[in-house]
Parts: sequence; structure tokens; C-alpha cells
Amino acid sequence: MKQVTERKRGNRLGFWFFRTSLKWTGLSGAYGLLYFVCLYYLIFDRTAVSASMAYIQRRFRAFNGIRKYLAVYRLFISQGKSLIDRYYVVSGLGQFDIELRGYDRIKGLLRDSKKGIILLTAHVGNWQVTMTALEKLGKTVYLLMSPEENAAVKNSLNIDSGNEKVKIISPDNFLGGIIEIMKAIDEGSLVSIMGDRSYGHSTSEVALLGDRAYFPHSAFSIAAAARCPVVVLLSAKVSTRKYVVDVSHVMEPRYRSRAKKKEEMEGFVQAYARVLEDYSAEYPYQWFMFHDIWGPENKAAAN
Amino acid sequence: MPSNEAQDLARIKKTLKELLVADLSLEDIKPEEIRDDEVLFGEGLGLDSLDAVEIVVILQRKFGLEVKDLENRKDVFYSIDTLAKYIYENKKNIS
Repeated sequence: MKQVTERKRGNRLGFWFFRTSLKWTGLSGAYGLLYFVCLYYLIFDRTAVSASMAYIQRRFRAFNGIRKYLAVYRLFISQGKSLIDRYYVVSGLGQFDIELRGYDRIKGLLRDSKKGIILLTAHVGNWQVTMTALEKLGKTVYLLMSPEENAAVKNSLNIDSGNEKVKIISPDNFLGGIIEIMKAIDEGSLVSIMGDRSYGHSTSEVALLGDRAYFPHSAFSIAAAARCPVVVLLSAKVSTRKYVVDVSHVMEPRYRSRAKKKEEMEGFVQAYARVLEDYSAEYPYQWFMFHDIWGPENKAAAN
Repeated sequence: MPSNEAQDLARIKKTLKELLVADLSLEDIKPEEIRDDEVLFGEGLGLDSLDAVEIVVILQRKFGLEVKDLENRKDVFYSIDTLAKYIYENKKNIS
């Protein structure tokens, strides 16, 4: 698997500044600071702007150059709000109202089968709020993610906190954490996997926002082998104090022919891409896609 | 090594190779061409993490082994030899 190294943003002073303003001025005060901080990133962080453009250009095809930059600015602000909200929750300063769509369906899946579920998520909304919403299922959630290396981010957002109900499986483990994933599914737990970036894994080509993009198919391949469902997990901020968490899209990937397994999984990956396309139509500034998933380097992984 | 143990191990290895070729859709390779000591992942046979999913399923469904016992057992997945030895020592319902 190809290792992907990305620049880490944020430092202890910056997080202290936001924490302090959040305690003194509340959410709206902390949000207000974002407009200045994000303007700095828009002007000086060419890498971040460039990384956002692949998505913005396809999502807002009719926009001219200036409007596309404004869209990048809005995307930065939106992600900043997501980070502030995450800290707001983990620090116990308050909670958000959460509307959970599809709860009965996912509850039914867990009741009818001893197997767990793969939660196929994306870089959308706010996963900390999402985890809070899933607590009512009473199941352990395993997140397939690299341990946070940025100490400032880790401390401020309470990542890797040792929460009994939220555990991390590192993709750096032997065989990409496959054994731990299969064990978790076998035990009836939930396994959350990011589906909108390949991180060097084998990909399938999908139609997305008018172009060909590349998404990993590993979640579907694992689910087909383990005979468990895949539930698309999305969240979105719909007002200052309310989030929607959506688990209503359920897929049951199976393959008829092992020889054509990858081809058969492509239909499911495309279905997932359509869900994300619908999401970006409704919440265009909450898909934090700072990577060119349409780029040729992803295509290489597809072969 | 008692002869029945050697026979059991040989039978497990043969079954494993046949299952790997069939379930992993290994093209242009016959079961008998896989060496007992050939490294399965990365170098050698060149399997990847998604192939590991199928191997875990084989161990569960064909040999009745528990996936929870495989955690932190990197050594088991090294070769046909190590897989067969693990199956032999932990088998419950080898068909």
C-alpha cells in the first residue's frame, strides 16, 4: 500500500486561541474568528487552495475564477466550524441537537444478524457528532484510521482518547488491519471506513460530478466476504446547533463470481458515489474533499 | 512426527492451495505450483490485504476457526506451511 504523507495544519497556540474564544464568547464568537483565519489560508496556503479546487471546480462548474475562490473560502470556514463544533462536544461545553435518519433500519439490521456492520463514511460533516449519535445503538464502533500524529490536533479534539465505545484500528497494522476488522464484524460491532479516498488502496472508477473519479472498493469487498451490510454514514450541520446524521442508505454487497469480484463491486462503489453526489448537491460546503480524487495518481491504483 | 500428523498436514496444505487458487481467483497458477514455504503476502505469491479477507473466511468457513484467535498472529499468515500448522493445531471441523 502506498504511503500518503500530507502537511499537518494547526498548532497549540492556534487551538488555545480558539478554545479560549469558545469559552468566553460561545460558538458564534469562535466562528467569527474563522473568517480571518480562513482568509489567511486562502491567501497564503496555496497547497490547501489547490487541493480544494479539484472538488470546487467540478461542483461549481458555472462559477468564474473569483467565485471559485470564494467557494474555497466557504469550504475552509465550514471545515473550521466543524472542528470548533467537535471541540465544543468533546470538551463538554455543550451538545448539538441531532436528527438521526435511518436509525430503525440500522437497529433492525443489528437485531436480525449476529454480524456487525461496515459504516462507509466520507470526509463530510462532523464525525465526533456522528459518534455521539451512534452511541444509542449500544455497540462498539471501530474507526479505521491512522493514529493522529499532530499532537495539537490530538489533544484539542480528544482523538485516541481511549473511549470504550469508540476504538481505532490502524491501517498500518498487519494486512491493513483486516484481521481486526473481520474480528469486529464477527463480534457484531460497527466498523467505520472512509470511502472517498483511496490512500493507496485498489480503486474502482466511478462517475462523479461529471468526471471519472476513483474510490476504493475495499469496504464492499470486506462486506461481501464477511456477509455483512454496508451502511453509508453521513452527517451535516443544518443550523448553528443542529446536525443531521444519515444512516438510511444500506447496501448488501455480494458477488456471484469470485473471478469477477472487483467488477461486481463496482456497482456498489458507483451507488456510494451517487449518494455522495446527492450529498454535495444538498450540502456543497460540507464535503471536505481536499484531494484530487479525479487525478491520474488514483487511476494508477485502479489497475 | 507421527505419520498420521504428517498425512493430516499434507491434506490440509493440498486443500489450502486449492482453496486459495479458487477463492482468490489466482490466475495462471495451479495449486501444485504453490510452494509450502512460499511467502504469501508482498513478495512471493504477492497477495494483498483484500486477499487476506478471503483467507480469513476460508479459515472460518472451511476449517471452523475463530477469527478472534487470529488477532496478533502475523506468523500464521506467512506461508502455506504456517497456515497448515495453525489449522492442524486448532482444527475443529476439518472436512
